Amino acid sequence: MPPFIQSRNISVIFKPKNREPVTALNDFNLEVAKGEFVSIVGPSGCGKSTFLNILLGLIKPDTGETQLNGEAITGPSQERAMVFQEFGLLPWRTVTANVELGLELKGIAAAQRAERASELIKLVGLSGFQNHYPHELSGGMKQRVGLARALATEPDVLLMDEPFAALDAQTRDLMQAELLQIWEQSKKTVLFVTHSIEEAAYLSDRVIVMTARPGRTKEILQIHLPRPRDYEMRLTPEFNDIKATIWNTLKAELTARSEYGA
Amino acid sequence: MELRAFYQEHYRAILGTVSVLAFIVIWESLLTFVIPLNPFFFTKPSLIAVAFKEQVIHGALWRDLAVSSRAFLWGFSLAILFGIPIGAFMGWRKRAEYTLDPFLTALYASPLVALAPLMIVVFGVGLLAKAMLVFLLSVFPFIFNTFAGVRSTDRLLINVVRSFGGKEKDLYLKVIFPSTLPYIAAGARIALGRGLVGIIVGEFYAASEGIGFAISRFGDTYKLPEMFAGILVLMIGAVVMTEGMRKLEALLAPWKMSQESQ
Repeated sequence: MPPFIQSRNISVIFKPKNREPVTALNDFNLEVAKGEFVSIVGPSGCGKSTFLNILLGLIKPDTGETQLNGEAITGPSQERAMVFQEFGLLPWRTVTANVELGLELKGIAAAQRAERASELIKLVGLSGFQNHYPHELSGGMKQRVGLARALATEPDVLLMDEPFAALDAQTRDLMQAELLQIWEQSKKTVLFVTHSIEEAAYLSDRVIVMTARPGRTKEILQIHLPRPRDYEMRLTPEFNDIKATIWNTLKAELTARSEYGA
Repeated sequence: MELRAFYQEHYRAILGTVSVLAFIVIWESLLTFVIPLNPFFFTKPSLIAVAFKEQVIHGALWRDLAVSSRAFLWGFSLAILFGIPIGAFMGWRKRAEYTLDPFLTALYASPLVALAPLMIVVFGVGLLAKAMLVFLLSVFPFIFNTFAGVRSTDRLLINVVRSFGGKEKDLYLKVIFPSTLPYIAAGARIALGRGLVGIIVGEFYAASEGIGFAISRFGDTYKLPEMFAGILVLMIGAVVMTEGMRKLEALLAPWKMSQESQ
């Protein structure tokens, strides 16, 4: 049986006008099992967000193919949903209406949409804020809406592009814990891009460390921490060792980047 | 101290009212006690009030108002009808923008009231010429603001809707249109002012009825209180419409308004 997600020989070359083409990804390969939580870390510009957009179906790679459940990804589909770093909430829609977006595009009847939205709003802890507009919410609450919206269409794969990067440290810790809880209940396959080594270590089954641009897989690290995980685990020596391993793998790539002034 | 609290809560309204009242009182007193009034050259608030009342009860004021409003509404409606689609088209299609831009920019920058004589030559004295003048003056804010609104649509939101399986139609309906609405509403406020100039100039130039005609006729015959009564009507109309527009804006784009007030 083929792996749930299989990306082979993915290359992406951006060709901006009046500038040198940039190879964002070069022969990138990845296999992910169903229900797995995989994080991708790497220096800025290594193509990790580009890769998520390929999985989402918004970017077509120049070479290579990604298969989900044995079928090639050719465009957006509701079996995959993204949680965006900058939230991407529609400012003219209330919390409920934002959560309903995907269901609406799918053509689900209004009554069912409302029911599903209210379930999810409850799940992410936003009961009582159904009729608020995004500008009335804090960053953490906005990303809860983003998460609820992504889960609403019941995707098999949840793509998360630095979803907590715009949040303050405490909100971030809280959101990580809640994400783990939701993930453990729903058993979605999660691909999680982050800059934070700690976040990657804490959340993931596996951490993919990417090279500097053009991005390829440098190393895949298995995180052998028991589940369910809790905040106290981060204080153990074992956790520190994992962080150190990731850091040591990543370090060379970060300095490689800085030679180009990036 | 209650008075002080009351003042602090309402000081915006209080200061505004006081300044208007003071203006009227000073104007009235100056011309009653200090400078002898020459009714051929100037007038004072009490006389304007009498003339205004007289006009409201017996005069042709209502008919004039109806005549002017009709021409204004025709011109303004046409401006909405043409301005928004043209602006939207320019926003979506670069080629349309580049083709139309020189004409539109030149026309928007020019004092188009200069075309009043032409309008009257072409369309004759009456409703049509005035409506066309209003249209010419007020269509450009609709074009340019719609254009700017479409152009400044957040790419992220477009990608969000696409990622949930939104088709081109959905992008227009669920992202581009709502995000452009506040721009159109702001354009409408500018268009309102320009449209009023159009109607008045049209009626100054050649007309046999309407508010502009009344103002100019009373001016010519040295009936200054009556003239000011006409101007007062114009001011009230402008303020009411601008405020109405503001209310409409708040209704259409609650998220925008509360961002501004923050």
